[in-house]
Amino acid sequence: MEYDVTIGIEIHCQLKTNTKMFSGAPTSFGRMANTCVNEIDLGHPGTLPCLNKEAVAKAIQACTALHLEIDPLVKFDRKNYYYSDLPKGFQITQQFHPIGRNGYIKIVTDEGEKKIRINRIHMEEDTAKQFHLSKMSLLDFNRAGTPLVEIVSEPDMHNGQEAEKYVEALRQTLYYLGVSDAKMEEGSMRCDVNVSISPKGSGKLGTKNEIKNLNSISHIGKAIDYEVERQKELIEKGEEILQETRRFDEKTNTTVLMRRKEGNVDYKFFPEPNIFPIRLDPAWIKEIQENMGELPEERKERYLNQYGLSEHDVDILIANKEMSEFYENIMKHTDNAKSACNWLLGDVSAYLNKHELSIENSSLKPEAIAKLVALVDEGKISGAQAKKLVDDMMEGKDPEESAKEKGMAQVSDASALTDMVNSVLDANPQAIEDFKNGKDKAIGFLVGQVMKVSKGTANPAMVNSILKEELSKR
Amino acid sequence: MIKELAKNKEGAKERCLKAYEEAKKLQDKLNHVITFIDPSEQCEEIKEGKMAGVPIALKDNVNTKGIKTTAASQILSNYVPIYDAHIATKLKDAGAVCIAKTSMDELAMGGTNLTSFIGPAYNPWDTRRMTGGSSGGSAAIVASGTVPMAIGSDTGDSVRKPASFCGVVGVKPTYGRISRYGIIPYASSLDHVGYFTRSVEDAALTLEVLAGRDDRDMTSSYREVEAYSELLNGDLKGKRIAILKNVTDALHEEETRKIFFDLMKKMEEKGAIVEEVSLDENLMKAILPTYYLIANCEATSNHSNLDGLRFGYREEGSDMQEIMTNTRTKGFGPLIRRRFVIGSYGLFEENQERLFRKGQKVRRLIVEEVKSCLEKYDAIVAPASGSIAPLIDAQKDQDELSDEYLITENYMALANFSGYPSMTVPMGFIDGCPIGINITCGAFEEVKMFNIAEGIEEITGYKDLKAEVK
Repeated sequence: MEYDVTIGIEIHCQLKTNTKMFSGAPTSFGRMANTCVNEIDLGHPGTLPCLNKEAVAKAIQACTALHLEIDPLVKFDRKNYYYSDLPKGFQITQQFHPIGRNGYIKIVTDEGEKKIRINRIHMEEDTAKQFHLSKMSLLDFNRAGTPLVEIVSEPDMHNGQEAEKYVEALRQTLYYLGVSDAKMEEGSMRCDVNVSISPKGSGKLGTKNEIKNLNSISHIGKAIDYEVERQKELIEKGEEILQETRRFDEKTNTTVLMRRKEGNVDYKFFPEPNIFPIRLDPAWIKEIQENMGELPEERKERYLNQYGLSEHDVDILIANKEMSEFYENIMKHTDNAKSACNWLLGDVSAYLNKHELSIENSSLKPEAIAKLVALVDEGKISGAQAKKLVDDMMEGKDPEESAKEKGMAQVSDASALTDMVNSVLDANPQAIEDFKNGKDKAIGFLVGQVMKVSKGTANPAMVNSILKEELSKR
Repeated sequence: MIKELAKNKEGAKERCLKAYEEAKKLQDKLNHVITFIDPSEQCEEIKEGKMAGVPIALKDNVNTKGIKTTAASQILSNYVPIYDAHIATKLKDAGAVCIAKTSMDELAMGGTNLTSFIGPAYNPWDTRRMTGGSSGGSAAIVASGTVPMAIGSDTGDSVRKPASFCGVVGVKPTYGRISRYGIIPYASSLDHVGYFTRSVEDAALTLEVLAGRDDRDMTSSYREVEAYSELLNGDLKGKRIAILKNVTDALHEEETRKIFFDLMKKMEEKGAIVEEVSLDENLMKAILPTYYLIANCEATSNHSNLDGLRFGYREEGSDMQEIMTNTRTKGFGPLIRRRFVIGSYGLFEENQERLFRKGQKVRRLIVEEVKSCLEKYDAIVAPASGSIAPLIDAQKDQDELSDEYLITENYMALANFSGYPSMTVPMGFIDGCPIGINITCGAFEEVKMFNIAEGIEEITGYKDLKAEVK
């Protein structure tokens, strides 16, 4: 039987603010446990929440970029439940009046462009982190109170690829805006996926299962693929699909049962009495919206027009904001957009991967790539030689100077090249024969031989023309 | 009195030590203090200010850094705060010296001061009687003359009721006038910081010290703090006074009626325009149930942080969830647990609309009613209690559905619903025990309220009353 797959995604994203959602304590990642906390984060008696204006501004930016309608009346509610990672015994969230409603984001899949609708974005606070050891449990409250937005999609996705593209598009957008670090592996962006299947064309939604806390984009697709198969098997065996919360096991690429949902938990939501509703000044909202950074889709458009790069190259460039900004800095010093892009996405990226570096914390300077491109373009060194300069350049050296140090210079002297060509021709009579018999490939072979003799220093374009000339003489 | 004391900074140490010793001496009879604070150290570095060297006391739900703060509950019996409440800092900055953390009803939930984990507080005028609550310890320590000012908190009438029973001035200013940061809460939308003094002048001065915007309490007001004590004139001439007739109609205690109406006559003689006003009787009867509903709902959520994991008393268990359950089961008194159950019930999704939300709607209607009355009058007045403080041992045979109980004994929560300023001053004595009158004015009309109170104080002469504790 064929099935319709329906997928909805909830994403929790930590906002990149200096302080917490409702307290003046610093936000942190990777700091010593329980050092970024104050009495508010620990839920001490008598503490009161104080709303972080910066967090509201970031939420407004997220809403704007994702085309949501912004509710200018900001209200908060309490979600009440007891858990050891929840210091106050309630979470302050926006149950009844989310800051944003009804937006969308565009994704491109194998089937073309598609809009995924976003139901709502609301602000809330993060919980503490728990570590369960064999004989004890530890609590780190550094994360408690960190500002979050929860982004809830409509059930508009129908396969793993769409889900992955959706999350990637959101990640890029939020990261570009500086709204969030959006690092799934560090937990600053966390993803819960709801999956249900139903017989094709039935128009009914099946029982949904929630897969919690997916921590990389590639896991999303794998988890969905597995979950769809699992549910299909159950249906085909005539078994009932129960409403469950599951997690993804990366070792086996399967989803594992965490708990069954038996009726909904009653969180006793009610309006937070310590924060009166706040009417946002329209001028303030406008100011925030007008001062937003460039969005990935805008940047893509600009690169296609301004640099004439292929869509494929542009997609790779803008997927990494720092890489694309580095690229723009290179382009301040060169006009050869294609070449600069090739170096960056080729040898430079390979070096960064190998050394586990990111572009912004490597010693590479944008001017260096521009110089390298110029050295090759002006025929001063060959491409092969240029490749040998990459390691030096990545350590911060000037390619022109290291070319000199290494004694590199491209041989563009016609008489020297003619000598080399003739010595190669003398040594390869068979190739001359082949050429005369119309085998054009022989030219390539001979150029290669000249380059070899010159140890890569020969100017390939000149070798080519001299070769043809000398061949005609024989 | 505070003004004079603050002028004599040299006598501060002696004065504060004397207050401290006196409070300790009275503890046997009054049981009004949870933690005594030896003032010697504080006296070494008294700041210049409106309360320089003046001994004061704080209700034990006011957080004091490094000094145990229990809210009179087992669950916080070993809690030592890591920060000072906003008002604790303000008082310190004004030069005040805290000598005691006073007893109260457990977590400020109660009107008797009989539910403190150290046992009842006793009324300084007659130790067989209760102080009223929940700020009973603070009312008692001021009434006994030990300190000229003590902090309380008022969610339903927790300052104004004990003020009536203990013969002192009890003030609850406008919601937002004083920051609540660092006060262990009861019900956030109804909680107010309040205080006790023995004169209206001291009450006015105290508000100058406590009031003002605090960025850590988003509900605190930006409105400028007025020079309340300098604006005092006690002038009743032309003041339009509304007697809350629903309260006096349901009041059957003849002596209370006589004291109250005699006072009204004297106020008229001083030029006040006194009229009886009836508010909607159904709404008046709804005050108490509405109050309980909203207060218990908010309280059950507010106190969810008391779980034994991060601070306070802990009852062990095999995992964190069990520690939380055990701690909360053993740490709260039976009345508190009952209130939490009621509060949770009112918040359940299937009940919330017809209980908590309905309570909010009724609250709004009551506030509208009070507001429209205060558009025509300067103040609403009525006896602050039907009678003097009840005997602690007396069998409680009150009919909790009678008008007398529903309205006369519990109407003062309307100032918590509205957030309007409200205060109690002594108006007379019955069997040697005091009883007070309550005055409520419009939002931020503290100056007007203090002036009416001062006018009353001039009529009664009940200024700087001091109970002889026997």
